[in-house]
Amino acid sequence: MRWVRTIGAQTDDPPETLGGKAHGLVAAHRLGLPVPDAFVVTTEACREFRRTGRLPEGLLAEVTSAVGVLESATGRTFGGSTAPLAVSVRSGAATSMPGMMSTILNLGLTTTATAALARETGDTPFARGARLGFLTSAASAFTGATAAPTAEAPGGAPLADAIRAAETFLAQRLGGPVPDDAAGQLVWALRTVFSSWDAPRARTYRDLHDIPHDLGTAVIVQVTVFGNRDERSGTGVAFSRDPNTGEPVPFGDVAFERQGDDVVSGRSATRPLGELADREPAVWAGLVDALDRVERRLRDACYVEFTYESGRLWILQVRPGRFVGRAALRVAVDLADEGLLGRREALRRVTPRDLEHARTPRIAASDDDIVLGRGVGACPGVVSGRVATSSDSATRLASGGPVVLVRPETSPLDMRGLAAAGGVVTARGGPASHAAVVARAMGKPAVVGAGGLTVDATDGSVTAAGRTVADGTVITIDGTGGEIVLGRPRTVTGDVDRHRDRLLSWADDASGDHSERSGTQRLRDAHTALHTTEEQ
Amino acid sequence: MSKRLLDLGRVVARGRAGRLLSRFGPAGGGRPAGGHLLGRDAAAVTAPPDLLLLHALRCGGHATLPRIAASTGLDEPDVESGLIDLGAAGLVMRAAGPFAGWGLTERGKAVDADRIAAQLDAAGARGAVTAACGRFLDLNPELLDLCTAWQLRTVDGVRTINDHRDPDYDARVLDRFTDLDRRAEVVCAELAAALPRFARYRLHLSDALRRAHRGETEYLADGTASYHAVWAELHEDLLATLGIPR
Repeated sequence: MRWVRTIGAQTDDPPETLGGKAHGLVAAHRLGLPVPDAFVVTTEACREFRRTGRLPEGLLAEVTSAVGVLESATGRTFGGSTAPLAVSVRSGAATSMPGMMSTILNLGLTTTATAALARETGDTPFARGARLGFLTSAASAFTGATAAPTAEAPGGAPLADAIRAAETFLAQRLGGPVPDDAAGQLVWALRTVFSSWDAPRARTYRDLHDIPHDLGTAVIVQVTVFGNRDERSGTGVAFSRDPNTGEPVPFGDVAFERQGDDVVSGRSATRPLGELADREPAVWAGLVDALDRVERRLRDACYVEFTYESGRLWILQVRPGRFVGRAALRVAVDLADEGLLGRREALRRVTPRDLEHARTPRIAASDDDIVLGRGVGACPGVVSGRVATSSDSATRLASGGPVVLVRPETSPLDMRGLAAAGGVVTARGGPASHAAVVARAMGKPAVVGAGGLTVDATDGSVTAAGRTVADGTVITIDGTGGEIVLGRPRTVTGDVDRHRDRLLSWADDASGDHSERSGTQRLRDAHTALHTTEEQ
Repeated sequence: MSKRLLDLGRVVARGRAGRLLSRFGPAGGGRPAGGHLLGRDAAAVTAPPDLLLLHALRCGGHATLPRIAASTGLDEPDVESGLIDLGAAGLVMRAAGPFAGWGLTERGKAVDADRIAAQLDAAGARGAVTAACGRFLDLNPELLDLCTAWQLRTVDGVRTINDHRDPDYDARVLDRFTDLDRRAEVVCAELAAALPRFARYRLHLSDALRRAHRGETEYLADGTASYHAVWAELHEDLLATLGIPR
């Protein structure tokens, strides 16, 4: 086939053709990991689309035949009135562009197929929820990276109403009703994903990150596994080691009875990954085994996205962990100790920037500390202060010492509270949210998108991890790792760190210079020496 | 503040100091006399001054007199006397202490919501503002990306605070800001055409970007007059005007 490749252990095209995501799935196949059946439309097809403004000739025939392969592999029918097949459609360029391009879930769930899925499972709310997942993901894909108004189905609203609202929204934006045949949906999705490569926001991202505009994106079409299928289903993300500290324990988030992008996008409240071990021991064992295999293959900490449906584990994405700072340092040292890396390679893996980053103070919570929640670190640094859930409360409490402003999200109306506070936490929003931008402008530690927090400003309290803390309670936040801890836990800086000491002693061995210098200088000298040795 | 904004303030202030003292009722109303700005009746550009003040606090949060003056284009003494009247009516309150400033009361917030909605419907602008709001929300993530790119950059795979020692990188970000601003200008023009009081955002955004180009780069993402701050206020204004909860 010219434009389409089946994803399997034998697929041998480079990431430039398959995209990074599909290439990672090929590696996962080779490791014998459970990957849902999938095919990929190559970046070349996208380049052709961009050149001519049309899907390339012959593509649709190839896609139809590839869908046929998925159908016979699963024994299901795409858009069928019995045993319907649903697929996810994801963009995946050679270079990762997180959050920039479209993903459409549960495609193929036409009205007929949704009814069929309801009959098959005997679970109408599940089938309707899946249909809503298709519509809301399609709505955000269509409107660029912005979440469509309907993407957040109003809590408790009847599913049928939410579905109707999403259909209306899409019809308005499309200028006509949503295609209600599976093949039509797929063609529409391919165009949408290809076009999303040229969305202004994606172009801006590439300009800022030196990624050429003419590469194009591949599109992965993969059999859907339903993490929201039943109480023995769920979805999550996992690192093989702790990305904050480098500690060799699996780390991540899981959302029980949830689907797909809910975790990655931070839309759902998630649970610490470890809870999976008790709830689904077999899935946990499979996941730990997968993390171990991927890590050995990459010889680096890794990141995996997974879903399990009715107790069965599936791996949806695999890539290196891309650790930084203290975590990068520790992983390099540990992997050398484990014999996966030579000391020279361990040294090459750590950059002077990692060493500088490791100097940022971090929370070092002990088992006795109560972790209230975790979000995304948006401005580095640690601050302890009293909780304030409104600007009024923040300005009042600030006269008695440092304050941490905790809000659902921030807007200009919170500027007074932000000015009064020593740090900020939001329950919603990402590293580019209003709170994040303002906190960085003010140089204040910030944690955003801490989805497990419920803020009640009227009441003056925050509920998290099953407990309610009132305004005035002391908490500590870490704007690097995103931790929110009750009280004043111990903090550390990277200058006192035995992994750092060992790595730097290896650095001195490599450079032959054991004189007193800064850590950064010692590492630089080692890099220079290693570089010189390689050239000889 | 740009000369244009100062002029706007004068146009608005002219001949109305007296009236400012007497009007804050829910009905608003009253068309001030005044010159022309941007080819429009200044009254239409601004909305009644008490509503202008009320709504500035609704969208910008607690603020000091100079900031409210800068944001509304009114002179400080007019702002102060207007706020005192609004305060007497229980719609605004002045907070003292180290974070002093004027802010809305709950009642002020409710009155603002009523009057802003009434203004929107009187102008028959709901459809146009809703449409423009959709286009604004499409641009919003990109603007936030750009502010973040100004503050943080990825070096050796590590996302780190931008130390602004690489002029090429900074120039690229500024260039993307300028590109986004060209697209935002279209949306701002639609908004101003639908409801003239939105015109002030275009002026403030242009002003911030012009300053950034002149080297005052804190006008991109720092401080209350930055591009980011004005943008966030416009965002809040759109939500408030259309009655969309956050």
